[in-house]
Amino acid sequence: MGKYVLKRLVYIVIVFFVISFLMYALYNLIPTDPARAQLEPMRQQLKPEEYIRMYKQLRKEMGLDDHLVIRYARWMGIIKGLKGKFDGLLQGNFGYSQTFKKPVVQQISEPMKNTIFINIFATIAALGITLPLGVYCAVHKGKKFDTTVQTMSILGYSLPIFIISLIFMYFFVVRWGIFPLMGSKTPNATYEPGSWEAFVDKVYHIALPVIVMTFASLGGMTRYVRSSMIEALGTDYIRTARAKGLREKVVIYSHAWRNALLPIITSILAWFLGIFGGSVIIENTFSLNGMGKLYWTGLNTLDFELVLAIQMFYTVVSLIGSLLIDLSYGIVDPRVRVNK
Amino acid sequence: MSKKMKNNTPKKKKRSTLARWFRQTVLRKHDIDYDNPEVIETPLKIVAQNFFAKKTAVFGVVVFLLILLVVLIGPYFFKLNLGEHEQTLIHVPPSNNMMKIPKEMHGRISDIAPGTTFGIGVDVDGKVYSWGHTRVTERIDLKDIPDEVQEADLKMIAAGMDHAVALDTNGKLMVWGNTRRSQARFTPDMEKAQKSGKNWNIVQLEAGMQVSAALDEGGYLYLWGNRSNFDLGIKREYQGNIAKIAFMANEYISLLKDGNVAYTGIKGKGSPFSKIPDELLQGKTVDIAATDRTCAGLTEDGKVYFWGRLEKGENEMPEIDSKIIKIEGGRFHYSALLENGNVVSWGNNDYNQAKAPAQVTSGGNVKELYVGNFQNYAILENGEHVTWGLSGFPLGTDNFGRDMLVRIINGGRVTMLVGAIAVVIATIIGVILGGLAGYFGGTVDIVIMRISEVVGGLPFIPFAMILSAVIGSRLDPTQRMYLIMIVLGILSWVGTCRLVRAQFFAQREMEYVTAAKAMGIREGAIIFRHILPNVFSLLLVSMTLDFATSMLTESTLSYLGFGIPLPTPTWGNLLTGANNSIIIQQYWWRWVFPAVIFGMCTICINLIGDGLRDAMDPKSTER
Repeated sequence: MGKYVLKRLVYIVIVFFVISFLMYALYNLIPTDPARAQLEPMRQQLKPEEYIRMYKQLRKEMGLDDHLVIRYARWMGIIKGLKGKFDGLLQGNFGYSQTFKKPVVQQISEPMKNTIFINIFATIAALGITLPLGVYCAVHKGKKFDTTVQTMSILGYSLPIFIISLIFMYFFVVRWGIFPLMGSKTPNATYEPGSWEAFVDKVYHIALPVIVMTFASLGGMTRYVRSSMIEALGTDYIRTARAKGLREKVVIYSHAWRNALLPIITSILAWFLGIFGGSVIIENTFSLNGMGKLYWTGLNTLDFELVLAIQMFYTVVSLIGSLLIDLSYGIVDPRVRVNK
Repeated sequence: MSKKMKNNTPKKKKRSTLARWFRQTVLRKHDIDYDNPEVIETPLKIVAQNFFAKKTAVFGVVVFLLILLVVLIGPYFFKLNLGEHEQTLIHVPPSNNMMKIPKEMHGRISDIAPGTTFGIGVDVDGKVYSWGHTRVTERIDLKDIPDEVQEADLKMIAAGMDHAVALDTNGKLMVWGNTRRSQARFTPDMEKAQKSGKNWNIVQLEAGMQVSAALDEGGYLYLWGNRSNFDLGIKREYQGNIAKIAFMANEYISLLKDGNVAYTGIKGKGSPFSKIPDELLQGKTVDIAATDRTCAGLTEDGKVYFWGRLEKGENEMPEIDSKIIKIEGGRFHYSALLENGNVVSWGNNDYNQAKAPAQVTSGGNVKELYVGNFQNYAILENGEHVTWGLSGFPLGTDNFGRDMLVRIINGGRVTMLVGAIAVVIATIIGVILGGLAGYFGGTVDIVIMRISEVVGGLPFIPFAMILSAVIGSRLDPTQRMYLIMIVLGILSWVGTCRLVRAQFFAQREMEYVTAAKAMGIREGAIIFRHILPNVFSLLLVSMTLDFATSMLTESTLSYLGFGIPLPTPTWGNLLTGANNSIIIQQYWWRWVFPAVIFGMCTICINLIGDGLRDAMDPKSTER
């Protein structure tokens, strides 16, 4: 198991560097010139040749003429920066946000908490519903309940999440007035941050987004759980187990369920990433102060240091997700540990 | 008899394959010979039978084909105008009643005032009626006619953009609707004239954008309303000398009693409308009319002269075989009544307002003509009425006054096209990489699977957003559409690749591959010409399901503003900005209709994909 984990860890670190390099290269496609921007106010007072000399010097100082790989390594913090010390992403320097006029680290700390909060909430809620529902449908397949769930689940994964949000907004906000329409806290609220009221207010505001996210992921997951469970129930060892006279509960939950879990875990990875990606839409639709909303703002204002930092966040989330899946695979399926 | 038999028998046998297929799959009647039970059916036939046995799948096919047909053919009939912006038609709900005169008024019409999206009329008893979309602001509805107007015996009526003016037989002037912009604030000289009755024998009532005018028989003109956007005044030398007036969008012109046309507003020579054609200054003008930006004058000999900003074909008058006796202007078109009782319309025809029906162009029995905005009402000799022009929008309009139906149909075409091409790109990449990985295995397989893990591990929506933002900022809208197709294709091939790889692993051990290898066929040919056709059925299923996913992704990107940019419509960006309570509740047609048709489309594609998968999967029948 230890070797297996180590292998996965090394692999993930490599992927992280590959993706971050790709992102950095992509970011450098944008035609911007910070040296020129910095010199522009002085242009009128300088002679042309002096201006060119200063411009060249500044470019050298800022390291703009260096090779892309060197600049990337500096930004990442693998080699020494221009000031002679390691100061990059790995040291916790995420850059400076031009839009918000403060370091990116400060800007993203609050939204990151919110995003992780709603995503974990939605994941737990969705898993809590889909796993039992899928298993129940598989065991009672072909019955009326199963057919109804099957038909309904097509709705769930066919509709884009923003349409589901609009429908839920119409009923829960406009019609019944149960939840607030937007925002992550009541405007002009007087409670102290960190108090019980603050928590309740936060939950009140994120309730509807979480419900929408949960609902949107029900369809696909239920179908997946059901089909892998059916697959497992159709195998020979289940027939053997039944022939042995084992109780149906043992057959389903001990024999079939454990084998059905493998494909389910793989699909949970894709789904978990989808939820994080989908939270961009949810946060924008509900105006939640989260990473997705910040990402959207950063892209719209071309604040690329901010965007790059958030993109790295998404990458890390997806890599950690895949690592977790790999590990749980190892725990669930002993064969994985032995073979790799 | 025998001849007949001879003719009949071969006919029965010759039932075409298509008809047989139809009988078997749709009517579910089988030509099975029960004496000989071992009927061998081809796999394709079984798949088709399984597929069409599923009601949901058949429903999906039918509805999807209908939507596809509408989206493919519709744009030729509902042409998209990207620069469209019509101030007076913003947020009109689904309607079809803008020219629907109430039954009580039929045959008894005495005056009609066509407003922007509504009409107000008076019958011969002086009773007032309203129809069409009368809600002019959130709170104000012109349908709520005040009691004093309802009870009065009305003589004349006029409708502006958001208010209405009525005059009763006693000379009492009443205003209702939006009165916040001094639409009901009468000038002091009007109050005086109304009280004394002197110079208060009103012969013409006009209303425009928050302004109104009343003209006295003696030539006195009274103007009131919102002065900020309108040249609402009269030069003293013209007062008492006016025979008729016509409203443009922000100005008005007058026909004087001496038969000349004059710009009588305060702006005088400063207005572009003061350059009146010489022919109308000969004292022979009999009628004037105006659209939003142009004016027309009619002379005694029936000739019409135009001036102003003639940009929408307002001066493109057709050949006329008779003399014009009366001319009326809408927002961008004119209609004229001829001496022989016919009507001609010309000018902008966006809403069919310049396309008069044959009944009035050649019927020769039109008595009266009322024209305004985009509507025309012709009253015939026998009291019946004929209408043409804008009758409403079946799916409402958006915040620029654009027809939602047109935008939904054209948006569907863009969304489907982008989705389809993205799937084709993804499938090509996935098949090539998956095929190579699955057939060769080993190092090739490991490299390709690692690449696919990286691509599959990228957070999809954020990554597509950054690609679109970084590369797309330098592109024009059409190039950006191609960019989105490519981005979606490049990011979504992983699933196909894995599927093809798994299939190839299974297929390459089969005997036919060994046979092909033994015959010395090149490996490329084995992969693509021998193995691929065997994988094709599963590929078709995954393509169908991916098509729905691609459409969803495109619409999501467009919804967030990183897909296809406005004003090009797609099913995603039609919903951009719909997430506020005003649109959700009051302008519900802006999100309900796109959401419904888009939802239907993706649901149907998924139903088809599901049905296909179940039909091809031999296990599904066992389940």
